[in-house]
Formats: sequence, structure tokens, C-alpha cells
Amino acid sequence: MGAVLYHGEPNGASLTVLAALEEARGEAGAEAGGEAALGIACRPIDLLAGERHGIPGLSERVALDMGIEGEGPVLVIDGEAMTESVFLAQYIDELAGGAGLQPRDSHAHWEMMMWCRQITERLSPAAALLGNLASSQAAIAAIGAEDFAGITASIVSDDLRQRWQALHDGAIDAAQVADSETKVAQAVARCEGQLADGRDWLMGVYSIADIVTFSWLAGMALLRPEAFADAPKTAAWLARVKARPAVAAALARATVSEPLRAWAPGPEINRWG
Amino acid sequence: MSGIALYHWEPNANSGKPMLALMEKGVSFDSHYIDMLQFDQHKPGYLAINPQGTIPAMTHSGAWGTRVLTESTAIMEYVNEEFAGPDLMPADPRDRWRIRWWMKFMDQWLGPSFSMIGWSVFVGPMVRQRDPAELDAAIERIPLPERRVAWRKAISGDFGEAEMAESRRRVALGIGLLEQELGKRAYVGSDQYSLADINIFNSTYSLPLSQPDLAGKDRTPNIMRWLKRVYQREAVQKTWAMGRTDLAHRYSLIMEGID
Repeated sequence: MGAVLYHGEPNGASLTVLAALEEARGEAGAEAGGEAALGIACRPIDLLAGERHGIPGLSERVALDMGIEGEGPVLVIDGEAMTESVFLAQYIDELAGGAGLQPRDSHAHWEMMMWCRQITERLSPAAALLGNLASSQAAIAAIGAEDFAGITASIVSDDLRQRWQALHDGAIDAAQVADSETKVAQAVARCEGQLADGRDWLMGVYSIADIVTFSWLAGMALLRPEAFADAPKTAAWLARVKARPAVAAALARATVSEPLRAWAPGPEINRWG
Repeated sequence: MSGIALYHWEPNANSGKPMLALMEKGVSFDSHYIDMLQFDQHKPGYLAINPQGTIPAMTHSGAWGTRVLTESTAIMEYVNEEFAGPDLMPADPRDRWRIRWWMKFMDQWLGPSFSMIGWSVFVGPMVRQRDPAELDAAIERIPLPERRVAWRKAISGDFGEAEMAESRRRVALGIGLLEQELGKRAYVGSDQYSLADINIFNSTYSLPLSQPDLAGKDRTPNIMRWLKRVYQREAVQKTWAMGRTDLAHRYSLIMEGID
């Protein structure tokens, strides 16, 4: 059996990997949205139904069970579950023999990885918290007791299960919400600063940094538009990324009308310094 | 001349990562010991290098001027890509993914729990003896708010029972997962010594002493076999000889205890 990418709606971590895959397929000359270029087939799953935790045929599942990213996409190859969207994007780029999504210069590569880490450590948990409160909390709270018990029983990670439980219980930590809004504003300011010299892409050339930042920030433009009010360069950059054929192809995989409003429990908020 | 200057504390946790990566690659560097227990990392001289006041940091000077690099795992990746010498990343894309996954698991999930425990039993008591006014002033100089909170907790011993219990849970679980991983492959994430081994060794080399109930010959034979294999590397021995505190001494104690 070939590789299968199990993914949610194209937003957040799932969007990162789908957009990278479409970009690499484009480099390989495959038609955007086509199946199985690079030997990877895409399979949508319902993250809010807990389907990610019931993926069959896994012989190595530690990355699924203990991944930090929360309900992100899972690439399964030879029974091994692979997670963490930035690393999956790097994997896809390298599998394609270098699809141009990572700078070859070591310092430029370091800058890209530092940027991605800032996004996944600071923006992703914040965006996931705000996004889930806005869009998925009601759906998770509406899950019947028996079904919810089945979902939580299938989640191996205690801390991820607690994030599901908090959404189910309607627990809202006002301090975390305020901190998350600050982190979204900081991410926007960071983008605006990076784009200040008139460049089109965050690292100068298009890279995984653009993909991962767009994936977590684009939905915030819908949810917290005030954070973007004084950021015209960031708004224009978001539009540029969205117009890329690979990103458009990834977004076209949505089964809902507004995928950038679709969220599932995400990474945990940093608990120690 | 490599043009590298490294600002580091002990060969331990984050500081040890670029030290050992440079040593493995055979890259000479100017060593600048930053005494974390004296808050050297928050003093103006160091903040001029790294305004965030975190250690380690590395500068690389050349025709381009001087680059400042921060974040220990990212520095290691830079060192591996920039310099000749043994490749510390395997060629296979899936092995590379697995190595990155384990490094993130250590950096963001397991490592902070090791750190919280380490600060509560080691760093906090070491600095607590000082004049409270001096400590207050030192904390106020810390640029990152989350680090100010961490230092206040360490100094006052103000760790909640729930957060310490959670850290202990994660350490026990993480050690178990590492034991399973090292039963599948010779090294972390692949069959080749890599950045993941350097990363994880720096936070686990003293486990048989610090967590004897969780790690040792009987409970974690795969970890012990791996530790021994890594301990015996020349670069590890040279790096740990650069230590100045009891942390480095613990390394030799463990070496003596392994068959």
C-alpha cells in the first residue's frame, strides 16, 4: 500500500501539508489536485469526529499518539504514522528531490526554520485556541456523552485529551484568550516588519515559512480582522499566498464552504518558559 | 579559523547541543562561558549579542560580516549544513523527518519537564542563597516575560504540585517512549548517529543518577546501551571536559557505572 495523507479541512496544520504537497506536485509536473503524485494519496477525515485516532493499520504510532501539534494531518507510510506539519512539508520537499520550498543556503535555511518555529510555538497554539472557541466548541459540546467518551478513550495523549475536554466543557480561560490575541497581533506585526522592504515572500523567496504562516494566520484575518487593520503589507501577502495555484488547489479540497473557519484541537500553550 | 564564537553554559541541555555538534564536525570555536547561575546571560555584554538573553548563542564571522544565531537545535542544523565533516543528518527523507520529530518532542514536550524538575532541585537552590534585592534586580533585567516567570518560580521554589506532578508524568512517559524507540533503531530516529542523538543525549545523560527509579540497566536496557555508545565518542568526552560544575562530574560517575 502506498503512502496516505489523512487530513482535515484545509486550514492550520492540514493546510500546510496539503499546500506543500500541491507545490511539490507542481514541481514534479503533476496536475494540481491530482492524486498520488509523489506516491502520496490524500484522504480527508473528520477530525472533530475523532477519526484521526482510529486510523487503521498502524505499526508505529508514537508520532500520532504523542505529536505536539494536536489534531494535525497524519502521513502513513509502511504502517508508520508521521506528524508535525512543518516536518511533513520538509519531508515532501525532500522526497521530491528539492521542490524549492527550503533555501539551500544554510543561513537562509536557519532563518526559515527559526521563523517556522516561532509560528508553531507562538502563533499556532494561539490561533487554534481562538479558532476552536469560535468554530468547533459548539460542535464538540454537542457530541453525545457516549460518543464523546469513545473519542476521548481513543486519544492516547493526556494533554491533548484535556484540550478536547476543555472544549467539550465550555471551559474558557480569559487570560489565555487575551494572551492568544496578543500573540496573533505579534505575528501580524512580525510579518509586517519582515515584508517592510517590499519583498513578496517572507524569506525573500517562497518557502515553507510562507505556507505555515498563511495556514495559521489566514483564518485569524476572518476572526480577528482588527489585528490586521494596520498591516497592509501582510494583507497583500496573504492574498498573494492564497492566489498561488498550489494553495488554491489545497483550499479546493475543502468539504465546507469556509475551510479557514474550520478548526480542531491544536497545540498546547507553552507551559514552562 | 572557523570564525565561530559560541556563548554557552555547561555541556548540558541546550548549551551542550551546539558544543557537541561543533566538536563532532571538527569545527574549532572560541568558547565564551556564560555562567547562568551568575545571570551572565542577562548582562549588557551578552545582551548586545543576543537581546533575548537566552543561551546558547553563536556568532559566525566571514565575508558576510557577523551572523548571530540562536536556538540550540536550529544552531546545530546550521552547523551541520554549513561545515564539512561527518554528516549529522541521514540522507533518507523519512529518517530526517523522524529525527526532526524526536528533536521537537524533546525541545517542546519532554525537555521543559526535565527543565522544570532540574530548576526546582538544582538551579533554584543554587541561586536562592543570594541577596534577595540582587536577585530581584537580576530578574528585572530578563528580556523575555516568560523567562522572568520561570526564574521567579525557580528562585522562590514556587512550583505548584500539579505542574510538578505533570512534569514527573511526562518524564516517566518520555523515558518509556525513548526506551521503545531505541529498541527499534540503533540511534534515535535512524540507524545513524545524528543531531537527534546529540539533542537527546544532552538532556538524558544523567538519567541513571537523576531518575534511578525510571532509568537504569534493568528498566531501560536500550537507553543504557545507547548512552554507553554515545558516551564513548571522542567528541562527547572532549565536550564534557569543558564543564566547570558538578553537572559534568556526574557524567564521569555514570561512565564508571556502565559495564
